[in-house]
Amino acid sequence: MRVPLIRTLLRLFTVQGSWNYERMLGVGFGVAEEPLLRDLAGARSREAGSAYRGAVARGAHFFNAHPYLCGLAVGATARAEHDGVLPAQIERLRTALCGPLGSLGDTLVWAGWLPFTSGVALAAVALGFGWWAVVGFLVVYNAGHIALRCWALRAGWAHGMNVATALRHPALQRSGAVVAPAMALAMGAALPLVAGYLGGPFTPSLRLAFAVAVGSGILLLRWRWLRLTGVRLGLTFVALGLVAGWLWR
Amino acid sequence: MSLELQALLLVWGMLVGLDLVSVPQMMIARPLVAGAVAGAMLGDIPTGLKLGVVFELFQHDILPMGAVRYPEYGPATVAAVSAAHMVGGALGLGLGVAVGLVTGMIGGTSIHLMRRLNARAVRRAAAVLETGDIRTLVRLHVQSILRDALRAGLVTAFGLALAVELNALRLGHILAREGFALAAVATGAGLAVAAAGTLRLVRRPTLAWFAAGLLGGAAEVWLR
Repeated sequence: MRVPLIRTLLRLFTVQGSWNYERMLGVGFGVAEEPLLRDLAGARSREAGSAYRGAVARGAHFFNAHPYLCGLAVGATARAEHDGVLPAQIERLRTALCGPLGSLGDTLVWAGWLPFTSGVALAAVALGFGWWAVVGFLVVYNAGHIALRCWALRAGWAHGMNVATALRHPALQRSGAVVAPAMALAMGAALPLVAGYLGGPFTPSLRLAFAVAVGSGILLLRWRWLRLTGVRLGLTFVALGLVAGWLWR
Repeated sequence: MSLELQALLLVWGMLVGLDLVSVPQMMIARPLVAGAVAGAMLGDIPTGLKLGVVFELFQHDILPMGAVRYPEYGPATVAAVSAAHMVGGALGLGLGVAVGLVTGMIGGTSIHLMRRLNARAVRRAAAVLETGDIRTLVRLHVQSILRDALRAGLVTAFGLALAVELNALRLGHILAREGFALAAVATGAGLAVAAAGTLRLVRRPTLAWFAAGLLGGAAEVWLR
């Protein structure tokens, strides 16, 4: 099964390519799962009503989870199809995996690994590492990213319907415990370093304007009643900057 | 700026836009990467890095969870670097941020529209998909990816055109002093967004780590 697993892994890199409000990741899930289903009855002839076509149809139903961990569900459902598990049970497995895989991936990657590596890269640029910071970010981030995708697919394929045991893997628990403080530390260090990097070339009066923008921006964004987003704050400040500059003439 | 260079930036913006959601999510869509590479293409790495840093800060506002809608800062950073490079100086930095923010907003809206188009295509093919026809499934998927590539290209083209138009206005002569104030508050806004975004993520048990990082970073800046 080595070649189909590699094909599925490669297709998983496109799993969000057809993301939509109807089935979310469903279509991408189905496309990624298909190489693992080619051993099922009817795969060669592709006749209607065969086990293969039934599995492909199920694969493309609604699904949503973190894209890096999607492989866990793909592997598990493909294994379940091979094991002859009832279609209704496979559907229930997919539904049951959406929440945990989404929440685990969001915590581990979007709120942990990504801001951690981004914070380190920001600090490195501010410290003068230039290009090396960017290259280092890409290499380190993707080492974790690709390792997670590979592990997810293999674990799903190995465990099938018992995939929940894979989610209790000690390495996953440890990563969760380490990545949150690491992210906090990296971002904490990056913020003053970047402030120095961006504000350093300004004159004292402009540094004051810079500091006021940072302070008032944080307050405005924390004030939930305003429901201000980053992009709206940025555009508002750009307009204010132009007015302030004009008055300063 | 030559047409060839604009075309190169357009292709880069398209790849960056594709990377964000569709293929392969290797984070070339992160503004730091998109900006540095755009800067290298223009032979102006410092500007690319600086705008990359500013939009990387803005990016910390976003947690791409579920069906959440957010601005797209990758192609926006490419356009921002192009604007900053053409205008130059502090004004270039400020205008670059403005161009990037507008492009980012349009990019975000375009993603939402594309997802609706994808949903419509899936609805139309629903009956065939229920028969397990793999050809239809793959065709739908590939068409969606191509749609995203086209969308990312259009967003980048819009941003690059906006940068050219702003440069043509010769704002450097009109806004000689405003440029500095614009650069100061625009970059300040980025830092504020990153700080607020990080504070949203940092929970009580990790607050001490965040404080330690802040102190360490501040000490490094102060000792320089």
